[in-house]
Amino acid sequence: MKQQVLTFILNGEEVAVLVTPTETLLDVLRERLQITGPKRGCDDGECGACTVLLDGEPVRSCLTLALTVEGRTVTTVEGLMVKGELDRLQKAFYERGAFQCGFCTPGMLMVAKSLLAKNPNPSRDEIRSYMAGNLCRCGSYEEIIEAIQAVAAGEY
Amino acid sequence: MTQYVGQAMPRYDGIGQVTGTTKYVDDIVLPGMLYAKCLRSPVHKGIIRHLDLSAAERTPGVVGVLTAQDVPGQNIYGASGDQPVFNPDHIRYKGERIAAVVAVDEDTCMEALEKVKLEIEEQEPVFDMFEAMKPGAPIVRPGTTHNLHEYMPGMTTRVIKLGDVEQGFAEADLIIEGRYQTTQQDHAPIEPHVSVAYLDPANRLVIHTVSQCLYFHLSQLVRVFGLPMSQIRYIGGTIGGGFGGKNDIHADHVAGLAALKFRKPVKYRETRREDLRYSGKRGVFVMEYKTGVKKDGRLVANHIKEYHDTGAYGGFSAYATEKCGMFASGPYWIPNILVEAKTIYTNKVVSISMRGFAIINGQSTMEIQMGKIAEALGMDPWELRFINAWRDGDMGASRYIVRGAGALEAMKKAAELAGVQLPAHLMAMSSRRR
Amino acid sequence: MREVLYYAPTELTEATAILADHRDKAAVLAGGTDLLPKLNYYEVKPHALLYIGRLGLSSIHNGSSALTIGATTTTADLATHHLVQQYAPALAQAARLSGSVAIQNAATIGGNIANASPAADLVVALLALDASVRLLSHSGQRDVHLADFFLGPHLTILQPDELITQIHVPLSPGKTEFLKLGRRKGQTLAVVSVAVRLQLDGDLCHDARIVLGSMAPTPLRCRTAEHLLRGQKITTDLIHQAATQAIAESSPITDQRATAWYRKKAGEALVQRALLQALDKKEVRP
Ligand SMILES: Cc1cc2nc3c(=O)[nH]c(=O)nc-3n(C[C@H](O)[C@H](O)[C@H](O)COP(=O)(O)OP(=O)(O)OC[C@H]3O[C@@H](n4cnc5c(N)ncnc54)[C@H](O)[C@@H]3O)c2cc1C
Ligand code: FES
Ligand code: FES
Repeated sequence: MKQQVLTFILNGEEVAVLVTPTETLLDVLRERLQITGPKRGCDDGECGACTVLLDGEPVRSCLTLALTVEGRTVTTVEGLMVKGELDRLQKAFYERGAFQCGFCTPGMLMVAKSLLAKNPNPSRDEIRSYMAGNLCRCGSYEEIIEAIQAVAAGEY
Repeated sequence: MTQYVGQAMPRYDGIGQVTGTTKYVDDIVLPGMLYAKCLRSPVHKGIIRHLDLSAAERTPGVVGVLTAQDVPGQNIYGASGDQPVFNPDHIRYKGERIAAVVAVDEDTCMEALEKVKLEIEEQEPVFDMFEAMKPGAPIVRPGTTHNLHEYMPGMTTRVIKLGDVEQGFAEADLIIEGRYQTTQQDHAPIEPHVSVAYLDPANRLVIHTVSQCLYFHLSQLVRVFGLPMSQIRYIGGTIGGGFGGKNDIHADHVAGLAALKFRKPVKYRETRREDLRYSGKRGVFVMEYKTGVKKDGRLVANHIKEYHDTGAYGGFSAYATEKCGMFASGPYWIPNILVEAKTIYTNKVVSISMRGFAIINGQSTMEIQMGKIAEALGMDPWELRFINAWRDGDMGASRYIVRGAGALEAMKKAAELAGVQLPAHLMAMSSRRR
Repeated sequence: MREVLYYAPTELTEATAILADHRDKAAVLAGGTDLLPKLNYYEVKPHALLYIGRLGLSSIHNGSSALTIGATTTTADLATHHLVQQYAPALAQAARLSGSVAIQNAATIGGNIANASPAADLVVALLALDASVRLLSHSGQRDVHLADFFLGPHLTILQPDELITQIHVPLSPGKTEFLKLGRRKGQTLAVVSVAVRLQLDGDLCHDARIVLGSMAPTPLRCRTAEHLLRGQKITTDLIHQAATQAIAESSPITDQRATAWYRKKAGEALVQRALLQALDKKEVRP
């Protein structure tokens, strides 16, 4: 099978990687680039664990064909830290225990990041509705909502 | 030390979770790693007449295949020790593993699986427990004559007994019957089942597992691999949720067998859809209640017939059936209890452990029964529950003495949260005394 | 490894030429939210993937008689675009209620139509708005009423060499509503959905649309129920009759989301609610 070169901006740096046409962005991130922050929970678009930001907007990396991101910008949980400092959301999730097993966390963080970028002071209902596509089977929803509210309130 | 007591501390491993650096098993990618995918039965019940893997094996990129013949130890695993890793003959449920293909990637595995020639003589399956108990029902376990689990040879009903229910019913003012069913349920952790296995330089089999109970599984795996425990490094601890589902082996046996045969690192993972369709579930329970009660609300007798669908293999079901029966009268003092419980085989996926381990199945059905009793008595359901709730020193169905009872206090808190004003005589009650 | 060719043309003529070459061996890829699950699970095995996200078809224009929506306009854009909110609020509402944020950012209107799910939210709203689609192939172009587009679940009149390029939503007056009932509120497919449009003439109903989702093999226009309303004074009684009639025209199935029985019960309530709420809505004026 002919592989093609895919070039895109990943967490601020340009990367070029050989991929095949049926590979998803999730496949390429996890299996080829060892960017394993985005998780494979379903490969079906349902769980949200694979969510990344594409040009700043959350998308399912499991439903994004890798070649379609040519020239675009992808941010994963690995790109949230700035100069070794945790992002405010990461701090809040960590300190407030907004997870149990942590498998949903990378996806949750990316969607939360996008929410606060659009709406710095979301209501509880706005948070719930914006985050509705990300499942947490451990049931950390309350702590996740509180962590986002705490960041919005300037506590971090 | 003193500054930590009573404080909420961040998780010791929490930084890994929020930075995405925690290594879950599927995050492990090793050089030269092979992938496995399984051939699964397309039918619910039948006999394998012909299996030809040669075309699959010849597919470019395929390293080899695994069948029952490739199991160096015993082709048996599962909590009841009755499941074949690869079924060589009598298929008992749709999706049962028959063989595995090992290749350079999963695409190649899938391509190869399409070339497998499999002929199964289909047989009539049985899915309903009550159908399965009828004479002449299809037999789920080949070589047996019925579909009931035997707790001891010939003993198909597990009996749990306290006092004398007949005497209790004689004393009762009212007898209320109810039949309730709880459904099959998947654990659905966000992390699907996955395993990575390889041989280390000392020739030990290393397995990165998502197991929830490493030592249960290790003892099953040594049998499958035919290795002493000292030859297996079983590494777990980081899992993306389990909820009881990862009390069962789903991937380690296949990955381990492949690593042993092909002497390369192997990853075997189930897709979400495979997991939902074919992995173990909480089994179906049907609970039939006959409860005797006095006009003043005191429960005096509870006769429960419990039916638990274990699916095609034993799983944890016999134990779950007992646990369910033990607690199926709820947190209530009832002097006379009789539980007659059966565990029944059907051609469904295996029933395994799940949160609460069957206790909540019986407890939730008892709560529905309590609602029905309250209605029949014309009594407030809170009152009925308060009168009967366990106090310290009461006795449960299997004759355990209740200590540290807390149902009353929990109900008071629930009432408070629900904004329900309980009358003073209920608020005065305590689990410490009757 | 799967042998697949990947094309990401930037010109429509290129795209239609590729389709003409590969015909049914090619899969058109827009947002991928319907196609990728099938690809990931080996349910489809195309020889070629034609990505249409670079054709410049993601725009919304206001013409003299219709809104023109490019086929790769995302659900997220539909939900927030001022023209859609102004002239097709039911479509904006359907977009808001479909999928979740990450799905909406990828999912396209063309994909929702071409996928032809009986539950397709955007389609239900579009049918109530009398929308049509523009289909383009290397040999020509045709406009088709959406009401004539669907043949069954995932079956349409779209030819293997045709692309949907545009959706036209006529600018017509009326009060509209879109409601959806799912198993939960967020990211859920419809157990039943309904879109209605009422064109009023004083207190008489000049024209009406009642469309049901997840209640038949395709999104369904309930024409007899619409007829009941036409030319009549709208009363609560009449609304009840129309809802009952709409459900009588449906043929829901029992599936993992709901039983047919439940769909009928809930559907009837939803149609009534949609009609009542539409009456309270601001009138859309072209
Ligand atoms: C988690 C999840 C939740 C969802 N929730 C909803 C929901 O609530 N409501 C709802 O309606 N849908 C829902 N969907 C389905 C899906 O998101 C929509 O149907 C979406 O609009 C499809 O658009 P797409 O661009 O992603 O389609 P694609 O997957 O790119 O394409 C779908 C099909 O249409 C064809 N196609 C696409 N564009 C064209 C074109 N321009 N011309 C010709 N053929 C074309 C493709 O070949 C393919 O067969 C959901 C999907 C997921 C994964
Ligand atoms: S893995 Fe992408 S949504 Fe679950
Ligand atoms: S923390 Fe386990 S799934 Fe969310």
